[in-house]
Amino acid sequence: MSQSDLRNEMDAAEVEPLLPIEKKLIGWSLGLGIGLLVVLIAVNHFVPIKL
Amino acid sequence: MSDIAIKVSQPVALQARLNEDWLAVVIGLLVFGLALVSISGTDLLGWAVTTSVYTDLSQALSPFAKAYAWLGGGGALLATYAALLVVLSAGVVTLGGDARKFALAFTAVFAIAYASWIAGSYAYVAAVTPAEQQKFGLAWSLKLTNEGGFIVALLSGLVIANFFPRVADWLKEAIRPELYIKIAIVILGATVAVTAAGRLNLASSLLLRGAAAIVEAYLIYWAVIYFIARKWFGFSREWSVPLASGISICGVAAAIATGGAIRARPAVPILVSSLVVVFAVVEVLILPFLAQTFLWHEPLVAGAWIGLAIKTDGAAVAGGGITESLIMAKAAAEGVKYQPGWILATTTTVKIFIDIFIGIWAFILGYIWTNHIDKGPDKAKPAEIWQRFPKFILGFILVFAISLWLALGSTPQIAKALPAAAGEANVFRVIFFVLTFFSIGVLSDFRKLWQQGFGKLAAVYFVSLFGFVIWVGLLISWLFFSGFKPPLAS
Repeated sequence: MSQSDLRNEMDAAEVEPLLPIEKKLIGWSLGLGIGLLVVLIAVNHFVPIKL
Repeated sequence: MSDIAIKVSQPVALQARLNEDWLAVVIGLLVFGLALVSISGTDLLGWAVTTSVYTDLSQALSPFAKAYAWLGGGGALLATYAALLVVLSAGVVTLGGDARKFALAFTAVFAIAYASWIAGSYAYVAAVTPAEQQKFGLAWSLKLTNEGGFIVALLSGLVIANFFPRVADWLKEAIRPELYIKIAIVILGATVAVTAAGRLNLASSLLLRGAAAIVEAYLIYWAVIYFIARKWFGFSREWSVPLASGISICGVAAAIATGGAIRARPAVPILVSSLVVVFAVVEVLILPFLAQTFLWHEPLVAGAWIGLAIKTDGAAVAGGGITESLIMAKAAAEGVKYQPGWILATTTTVKIFIDIFIGIWAFILGYIWTNHIDKGPDKAKPAEIWQRFPKFILGFILVFAISLWLALGSTPQIAKALPAAAGEANVFRVIFFVLTFFSIGVLSDFRKLWQQGFGKLAAVYFVSLFGFVIWVGLLISWLFFSGFKPPLAS
């Protein structure tokens, strides 16, 4: 497949709506990510970097 | 993760990439092993060329070890070139490459890249402190440190890619930034271990904070960028997955691994990869200088930020090297002398932590796609986690573990001799960095990308990178690393 084919295809492609499973993936990733970051920030607070 | 020559006509050859990973491990271990022999008193790599800051070109080059002083700078340069030519040509043959073509192209690549490195060591470019300026009798200098040579190599590559495309095409057999940086990272394991052995508490603290990088890249960056690509820019799933992986995780390997996992056509992740490399170049040219200006008083924040913001191994780790040099130079000018190695170690730790999970993430996406989106007989298999694991990381871990054991668990004599051996290996790490920078430049044909009409892809990258990735990366780096400085040099 040439790059011009891909370019035409990108220009002509119809929008695919977000499926429920994609929404779940995005939501769970963000939720889990923010949750884990909060935990790690807490760990960082209680176990500070030692020089 | 890393950077490769990008042509749509190339198939995505997973087998070849795995071989390249193992080749990097073999060459990296070879350099490390030979350097270790110096501990016994037999110096096998002391002929390797090093470059000092200079005003008189004849004083720029010298062999690493005094025992090889008889070689002179020119002899050391030739010996280094010949050794790399032989080892890399043999390696390229194992990858199925053409040894003759590689040898010719590598000769030119090495000559231009190392000339760039020498140019970057010119005192007017590299001298940093007032004492250095006085030593060379200079009224001014760019204060880029001798690692400004990386920028010169990158610019040389960019000039060739954008103004001499036929030369770039002729060089392509030796334009292998992915191989060069992986070898460099394996070798880097020794330096990181020697640095860590001096401050075990700080080193273990860095590891703990590497976990934050994984969470940030895979769970936060990926989800947001996938959403932006799908919802705001209307990209299909086939384009959005490699795009989100390329921008959020680790460039080329992540785009290809996750593109393969969702069964995207090979050309899609390859094209995304070309975009990743181009943006990485722009970032390397900008971010280290921003870090020097705004984060020089928070060196570890700067190191982590570079690892989180720049999306290829080559550009990120090399960018960490430049950032370290620039920040150390600025701090030195203010009278603070940090121990070298900590900023680069922070960048490398962050990057390696992110790399480790590429296979797992590709499997998760593959599982979701093959079971819920494009249901078919071709299901994702757990074996793909190992297949897509970046094997060169094993080389880094092995070198790191052996070096750490030698530093802490062996005799005092060996522990005392280890830093010099690691320093000898580091000479080759620097050379592979230079080759990486030059190669990344040669791959970055801005005009071609623009002509091919991938402005919409670039727009997603631009919006995500400058609107989100850089700032969130800075915030997270600040939360985890602010207030902690590298040890002061004794």
